[in-house]
Amino acid sequence: MITLTDFLIVSAALFCIGLYMIISKHNAIQILIGIELMLNAAILNLVAFGKFDKIANSGQVFALFAIVLAAATTAVALAIILNVYKKYKTIDPRKINNLKD
Amino acid sequence: MKTTIPYQDLSIIYFAIATVLLPLFACIVNCCLSGRRNQISGWIATGAILASAILSIIIFSKTWNSQQIHVQQLWFTIGGTQLYAGILLNNLSSILLLLVSVIALPVHIYSTAYMKHDDNYDRYFIYLSLFCFSMLALVVADNMILLYTFWELVGFSSYLLIGFWFTRDKAVQANKKAFLMNRIGDVGLLTAIMILFAQYHTFDIVQIFGSGGLISQSTITNGLWVSPIGSLPAVWQYVAFGGIFLGVAAKSAQFPLHTWLPDAMEGPTSVSALIHAATMVAAGVFLLGRVYPIFTTGELDILAIIGCFTAFMAATIALTQNDLKRILAYSTISQLGFMVMAMGVGAYASSLFHLITHAFFKCALFLVAGIVIHQMQHIKEDNDLDIDPQSILYMGGLRKKLPFTFLVAVVAGLALIGLPFTSGYLSKDGILVQAVDWSDNKSILFRLVPIGAIITTWLTAFYVTRLIVKVFFGDFRLAQFHPHIKYHISDGGWQYRVPLLLLAVACLFPLFSWNPVLYERAWVLAGFDSIHLARVNIYHTIVPIGVNILSLFIIYWAWAVYTGRKILVFPQTGFLFHLSYREWYFDKFYNKVIVGAVMGLSKALSWFDRKVIDGFINGLSVLTITISKIAAWFDYNIIDRISRLLTFIVQITGNFVRRFQGGKIQYYLFSMLAVVLAMFILKILI
Repeated sequence: MITLTDFLIVSAALFCIGLYMIISKHNAIQILIGIELMLNAAILNLVAFGKFDKIANSGQVFALFAIVLAAATTAVALAIILNVYKKYKTIDPRKINNLKD
Repeated sequence: MKTTIPYQDLSIIYFAIATVLLPLFACIVNCCLSGRRNQISGWIATGAILASAILSIIIFSKTWNSQQIHVQQLWFTIGGTQLYAGILLNNLSSILLLLVSVIALPVHIYSTAYMKHDDNYDRYFIYLSLFCFSMLALVVADNMILLYTFWELVGFSSYLLIGFWFTRDKAVQANKKAFLMNRIGDVGLLTAIMILFAQYHTFDIVQIFGSGGLISQSTITNGLWVSPIGSLPAVWQYVAFGGIFLGVAAKSAQFPLHTWLPDAMEGPTSVSALIHAATMVAAGVFLLGRVYPIFTTGELDILAIIGCFTAFMAATIALTQNDLKRILAYSTISQLGFMVMAMGVGAYASSLFHLITHAFFKCALFLVAGIVIHQMQHIKEDNDLDIDPQSILYMGGLRKKLPFTFLVAVVAGLALIGLPFTSGYLSKDGILVQAVDWSDNKSILFRLVPIGAIITTWLTAFYVTRLIVKVFFGDFRLAQFHPHIKYHISDGGWQYRVPLLLLAVACLFPLFSWNPVLYERAWVLAGFDSIHLARVNIYHTIVPIGVNILSLFIIYWAWAVYTGRKILVFPQTGFLFHLSYREWYFDKFYNKVIVGAVMGLSKALSWFDRKVIDGFINGLSVLTITISKIAAWFDYNIIDRISRLLTFIVQITGNFVRRFQGGKIQYYLFSMLAVVLAMFILKILI
């Protein structure tokens, strides 16, 4: 039987992978993927915790909202990355440091 | 204007003011004229003094033996005291006014020739005019403040003239000495004036000293000096006398302040003539005449004794001096001693009479000396000799070269000795007779005064004869020392001859009395309050005859000694000779005791100043510097270090913090993660 703990472990692993990607990748799109992984870890948690609310299934509902929002934000982020690329001819976040004095 | 005379006499006042101011005017005009050797300046000064002389003759003819003229005007007011300035013309001031201007006139004429080749010809006449102005103003001043002002001015202008050749060190020393000696007298006079003011609340000479004035109403009783206005302890009266005496002693060169006069010979000879005859030394005797009523009997005795001592001392010094002018200077001191003594013995009129006659013959003698020295100077310069042109040791036989000068010298010399038919006889024997009279009623010791005076007369006869013989008789000694010198000297032009002629005539008796033998008939004496004019006793016959017969012998004796008859040769060794030659060691004594003491004191004070005061100040400064160095170290090492440490910390922190702001977005995220993790770990641990 798959217990809640298993879900949480998978979710934590996902989160950590996402976090690692965010910190270590040199490509904005890969970072975005990392963010998606972290979001999905959160959504997995929501779904896993949803079994404690069998009547309203608010966990599943909230997960759906989060997925939709994630899709929207990803679209926006991709648009930003596209613009950044236009301006800097790169999407490596370490080289985009013109804000520094 | 407060006047005590009818209206028509005012013109005399204007004349008097003009007489006084003309020399000042000449002085100012000469100051304005540019040019270092302006020959006009001499004639401006001479013209002014000529006008003064004429005016003073007019004034004299109108005021002599008539009512005194006293005009004054409010000068200024201090508190409740009103100070008047004005002119007082009585017999004393009008005859002195006449004397000063008449003596100054020949001196001016003489000076135009005598100073002709001096580089500072115009400066000389500026000083001379100033000198005459101050003396003329002194004699007509009617209050003590004005008198004192001009008294100072006389001293100051004599200082200028004595030091006229200020490049000579001796002249500078001499005028400094004259000035300092006169300062002593000035302080005395000022003290006396202040005491008189404290007693009488006025400076007015007529009010204080006039007949029936405040002095005549005041007495000394029971140790109090009582006047109609108030009373003071009697000691103040004595202090006032002492002050006046100091003033007189300084100006008229009386013992103990006489030493400046011989040194004053460093000035031009024509100035010496003026100083010795009319302007400077006369001021002291004049002051005595002005303040005469203040003296008590005891104070008059002191005056008589000091005058007699001065006369005797100066005459003995004159015996051995070799400097032509120095001999004359000491003879002046001696004659001034006679005048002061005459004041002391009550021969008021004779004293002033002697002042007047002395002015003429001493002026003549000095002008003669000037000519002689001038000629010796010429010989010295023409032949490049190294001699002192004033030393009588080099002179001799000049009567053939300078016949006119010789004649004047003999006339003036005889007047100085006081032989009959000269003016000196009339005044000097008057003094002698009255001195004998005076001592008649006193104790035996007071007999020394007339005896001293008579001995002084004989000494005078001796040194005058010595002087004239050494200069004019015998052979020209310089030619003996230097056989090859060339010289052609003469009496000089009219500017030399006319003054000498005028003065020589004034040395003879007719100017003063038609009777050459009886001094009592002199008209000058009649002008002053004279109670001694009656021939009351035998002294009036014995004294003049005895004195003059012995004087004649002494003259012959001196003549014989110095023309080489060798009746008696004086040893130039021994105590008495040195006492006289070294001028009674007064200068030495003053230099050692007074100057030495002052110098010692000033050296001690200077030492104290340098070592103690300066040392203290230096110590303070060292202390301050040390403190400031410590403070600077503290400032640099502590305060600055702290602030620099602060900035360093801030800088470190800033640099540390800046590293986080690298613009690297992933780094930010990593930091956030680290912080959150750290907080979690902390939370777990705590």
